[in-house]
Amino acid sequence: MDVAAAPAVAYIVRRAQRGFDDSRVPLLGVMGAFVFAAQMINFPVGIGTTSHLVGGALLAYTLGPAAASVVMSAIIAIQALVFQDGGILAMGANLINMALVGVLAGYLPFYLWGGGRRRKMAIFAGGALSLLASAVLALAELLVSGVPMPASVLGVSLALFVVSALLEGAITLAVIQALETIQPGFVRKPETGRSFALGAIGLAAVLLAAVGVLVASTAPDGIEKLGLQTGIASHVGSLVTTPLAGYQAAFFQTGWLRKASAGLAGLALIYGVCLLIGRAVARKRSA
Amino acid sequence: MHRRDPRAKIAALMAFLVVLATAHRALPLLGLALLLLLSATLICARLPLFSALARAAIVLPFSLVFAAVCWLSGDPARGFSLLLKSYLSALAVLLVVSTTPFPALLRGLETLGAPRFLLMVAQFLYRYLFVISEEAQHMTIAAASRGATVRGVVSGARFRAAAGALAVLFARSYGRAEDIHRSMLARGFLGRFQPPGALRFRATDAVFTLFASLAPVFLRVAVERVI
Repeated sequence: MDVAAAPAVAYIVRRAQRGFDDSRVPLLGVMGAFVFAAQMINFPVGIGTTSHLVGGALLAYTLGPAAASVVMSAIIAIQALVFQDGGILAMGANLINMALVGVLAGYLPFYLWGGGRRRKMAIFAGGALSLLASAVLALAELLVSGVPMPASVLGVSLALFVVSALLEGAITLAVIQALETIQPGFVRKPETGRSFALGAIGLAAVLLAAVGVLVASTAPDGIEKLGLQTGIASHVGSLVTTPLAGYQAAFFQTGWLRKASAGLAGLALIYGVCLLIGRAVARKRSA
Repeated sequence: MHRRDPRAKIAALMAFLVVLATAHRALPLLGLALLLLLSATLICARLPLFSALARAAIVLPFSLVFAAVCWLSGDPARGFSLLLKSYLSALAVLLVVSTTPFPALLRGLETLGAPRFLLMVAQFLYRYLFVISEEAQHMTIAAASRGATVRGVVSGARFRAAAGALAVLFARSYGRAEDIHRSMLARGFLGRFQPPGALRFRATDAVFTLFASLAPVFLRVAVERVI
């Protein structure tokens, strides 16, 4: 999980460069408090269970993706620091999963199709995708950091994620509709007439990247097994003489390095895909 | 402990977390040593020890799930390490946060290089968190008193009602934020936050940072030499 710390720092720096106007601080702060409070409101979903809103997509549709990222980051930070509800060691990964990937993945369908006839579908898809993308990424990061997960556990987790994603989409849609009834000005209206093909390709790219990270992070397990079988691991172990050297040897152990590079490559891929989509879309808009 | 500069505490926390996160040997013994270190600090800071220990356990249910997965997959050591690291890091964070007023903590983070905008948003969030949460609680009570939790009411209607409640909460929060902004303007807000009074890093803070950062490192080296 320490692997995620470095990209998190880069991401924070990048966001700081967006140069927000200080006068927006009260709005973002209060909306962050709103999301916190909103997570207390339970939505009945049948068979005696309730679900609640995570909020990334909702924030993106009302405040814009950049502001939504900032608000989600503040929420994650406060959850970890003040309420100890969210580990401090995993905060880098959490920030990337939820505040960056989650918001962007949620905003993408809305940005592409939110202005047209398929608006409801876009909103639902965005809500679902934001949850799904961040959950799948978190799962991949766990696998990379070495938590062993047999196929059954993976299957159950993914099934749970899909259900939660659908619920998030439904709740987001319901809230957006209610908002538009109260005051139409809250929810943004992206331009209509975006090319469907471009959108589909972009979406497919994001999904492929997310799945790719998942698959790549399961592959190194095979490599590690190979390493153990051929005795490479024991050779590395014999390098241990002092504690510090031992730490270094563990650091360069074949299995760990493979996993870490797979994970980093996956993260970089997702980040790159989002970046490319953002740039392509910005160019199209200014054209 | 309460009077130390927040930057000293943040630096010590970072050192502790790095030592903890990168530890992979002799974990039970190291865990015990670090736990004793944190408990001793808690006592020195005159914080209630047992409620602190209990509160840090909030993080455990989440880690327990993954620890169980590890255990069932035949790697109990990793599961144990997960539990240990998550608990100790939560306890360390609790220690720092309980001995530092939140605005001072954010100010310390800012001088250490965290982006100011984000920290200001976090500060406002914290400030209005309890206000908005109370409003949300009022709404849930009002809904309950109008029969929202009664079984037999159609799920779809309750769903839409909850969505409506959220939308109203959103609108109220947004309106409140605009009111706040207007009152800030009315009190002379010029569009940029001025940095508040400077934090002073004194000699005692330097000494504290030195000892507090070296303590976990020393413990880890000692434990790894013993094993």
